[in-house]
Order: sequence, then structure tokens, then C-alpha cells
Amino acid sequence: MDEITIEVCVGTPCYLMGARELLDDMQKLESESEGKIKVKTSHCIDDRCEKAPVVRVNGEVYQDITPDKLRKIVSAKL
Amino acid sequence: MGIVIDEFYQSIPKRGQEVCGDNVEIIKNDKETIVVLSDGLGSGIKANILSTLTSKIAVGLIDKKLPLIEIIETVLATLPICEVREIAYSTLAVLRVNRNGKAQIIEIDTPSIFLVRNGQVKKIEMQEREMWGKTVREAEVKLENDDKLFMVSDGVIHAGIGALLDFGLGWQGFARHLDDVLQHYYNLKDIVEKLVDICLAYYLMEPGDDFTVLGLGFREERSLTMLSGPTQSPQKDEEVVFELLEGPGRKVVSGGTTASIVARELNQKVKSTFEYHDKAVPPIMKIKGMDLVTEGLLTLNKTADYLANHKQGQLYPEGKDGAARLVRMLLASDYIKMIVGRAMNESHQSLNLPLELGIRTQVMNRIAKSLKKLNKEVEISWY
Repeated sequence: MDEITIEVCVGTPCYLMGARELLDDMQKLESESEGKIKVKTSHCIDDRCEKAPVVRVNGEVYQDITPDKLRKIVSAKL
Repeated sequence: MGIVIDEFYQSIPKRGQEVCGDNVEIIKNDKETIVVLSDGLGSGIKANILSTLTSKIAVGLIDKKLPLIEIIETVLATLPICEVREIAYSTLAVLRVNRNGKAQIIEIDTPSIFLVRNGQVKKIEMQEREMWGKTVREAEVKLENDDKLFMVSDGVIHAGIGALLDFGLGWQGFARHLDDVLQHYYNLKDIVEKLVDICLAYYLMEPGDDFTVLGLGFREERSLTMLSGPTQSPQKDEEVVFELLEGPGRKVVSGGTTASIVARELNQKVKSTFEYHDKAVPPIMKIKGMDLVTEGLLTLNKTADYLANHKQGQLYPEGKDGAARLVRMLLASDYIKMIVGRAMNESHQSLNLPLELGIRTQVMNRIAKSLKKLNKEVEISWY
């Protein structure tokens, strides 16, 4: 199984729209994943600020995301 | 790089007197700092008036760039004559330092100034000349980073007369104590207070004369240049990044979009971090060559709040978040250059931010206003 890389945008709009909660949750997931998940931050993903918060999972961009939605996306890839 | 001057002094009146016969005047303008110490004849209110007149006249005339000869002539001609001794008399020590650290020292009937360089107490070599029956000592020195100067009135040199010492402490005696105090204290206020305590001790806490210890510390000006916000016309990107690089001191970039512009112009990458130290402040970023790269509006608003509540002399915030780091850097600087882009940030338009939070010019103006209140020199260029 391949490693999953999750990039969370922490630019101002994403931060205000909940990037911090996403990051907290994903860091928890990362520590439980035994090295399968790698979490990073980014200061802007794809200029999709109007649909914040935005994340990128293995190169694929997802917008208007919540921790629950993101967990589903990640577990589908695991 | 300019020189910045910190000063601290304490004047102690002769025993039984309510006011001190010594007077200190300090004038600071954009170009130079002028310090005048004067000791009026005798003690008490009469001496106080004499020395105040002398120092006020002198400092005013020096500030108007009059030649030394005219200044001394005016001071001597203006002083009222003492009824008891039938002379008008007051000592004068003048120090004038420009921003490059070039200092002019003039002394009339006053103890020689003490220079502290590399931790050593030194006497400055002076040239003497006669003017209206007075010996005027003059010197020019180039002050260096971390130099200190101490000006004292003769009550310091005479400390101990009538008490512990027959002939007083003397210049060398005070220099020895200064040397000793410098081994144990670094802060100018502590040094001056300790020296005053020593003089008081020689007088057995009952000074036989007014005395003043004035300490001046010199250090190189600390500057900071910060860039925040995209410009209204993107063809100016190169220009603002160049202005940032050419600006003095430490370099700060504030804002995600701004960081991308800087990185692009410098052919570098923006490195994101995810260490949260304060929930209200997004993590900082990194660009090679920049001292601090922060998120924009949230960090800046938090910075503005910090600075608005900060009082001179208070401890700096200790946090590791972007705002606390920025506050510390700003407070440690004497000169701050802000380069502010005024383009509407489209990415913020969808957020319905409160008006005062969302407008960069307002938050930058708030920061500049607080910094000016804290005696910082602030310059803003808008793009």
C-alpha cells in the first residue's frame, strides 16, 4: 500500500473556515497510521480560496472540506 | 547604520536642600542628540535657577546651530549675578552626538567626561582654549557600538569631603568605582543608581554638595523592513521585493500571497510549517533569506492588538506563534520600514470579514501608530 500525503492549506481564508480543525484531526490520524499517512501544510492550494477550506490528498484537490469528509476520503484510499 | 542613545541620570541635592543645584537638559531630534549638564554656584534654589538657566539657554542655542563662541558668550552674559559672591557662575558640560556617532564634547569648569569602551574606563583627550577668562575644553570622538559615556558634576569628584575622605573621591577614584560597577551591572539605570549609592556612602548619606551622575549608552540602530500585501499593479512586484531586499535590517514578509510573490521573485520556495502555538494565529512559513514569514491578516491583527496594549519597559510576549515573533522583532527595532501593497485580496472577498479586520491598510496603520507611540521611527510606502 502506498503512502498517503495530505496537504492542508493554512492560508487566511482556509484557516478562518476551519483548516485548524482539519489539521488537528489529520495529525491525530497520522500518529495512528504507523507511517502510512503524512500530513503537510501549504499556504495556498490551487487558488480555490472561495471554497475554503481546501486540502490536497495524493495530488487530488478537495474543497469545502470538514474533518469527517476528509476522514472518509482518506480511509477510501487506505 | 545609525547610532541610538539611551540615557539615564540621577541628581541628588545637598543635605537639607529640597532641590538640586545641578540641571540636565536633553534634546533629541532627527539628526542629533544634545545633552547639557550644568552645576549652578552654591546649592539650593539659587543654584537650581542658575543651572537651569544655563542649560536651557545652552541647549536652545546649540539646537539652533549657533557657534560655540556665541553660545558661551550668551550664557555668561545672561546669568544673574550671585549676591553673596558677586559673580555669575555655573559650570557647563555639553555633549552633541549625530546619528553617525560623531560626538562633540565641550566642558567648562566641570569634571572630564568618562568614556567606557570595550569595558575599559578612559579619559578623552581634550584641547583647551581660553575664552572670556574661562578654560574651555573641547574634543571630538567617534562613538562605537556599545560605548558608554558618564558625565558627572563636581559633587561626585568631591564625594567624601567632610565625611570619609579629606580630599574627595577624585576623577581616578570615581573611575575605579565605575570600572568595578561595570563588572557587575550591564543596564545603564542599574549602573547609574549604583554609582549614586557609592557617592552617597562616601558622604555618609549626607551629601556636602549637589551631585549628578548621567550615563549615556550608545548602540547601533536596529532596523526592520517588512513587506505585506500584493501591489495594486502586479508589474510592481519586482520593485517591492527589491525594496524589501534593499531595506535596512531584518526582513519580514507577512501574508501568504505576498510570500508567494517574494519566493517567485527570489527563485525560492515557500516552506510551510504546521506548528501551532496560538490557536488564533496560523503557522509561520519559511523563505530562505527572510527572517520571518507569517500569514497575513490574522497575524497582523493579533500583532496590532499586542502592540496597542504594550507599554514601554514591559516584557515582550513569549509565544512562538507568528504574531508574538513579529511583536518581539518590531519592539526590538528602532527603525521600521513598512512596504504595503493595497490590492484587494480576492481570496478574502468570499469570507465576509468584519471591515476593520479585512482591510490591510487599516491594520498596518494601527501597527504603525502603536510603534510610533513607543518612540519607534516608522516609514510606510504604499503600493
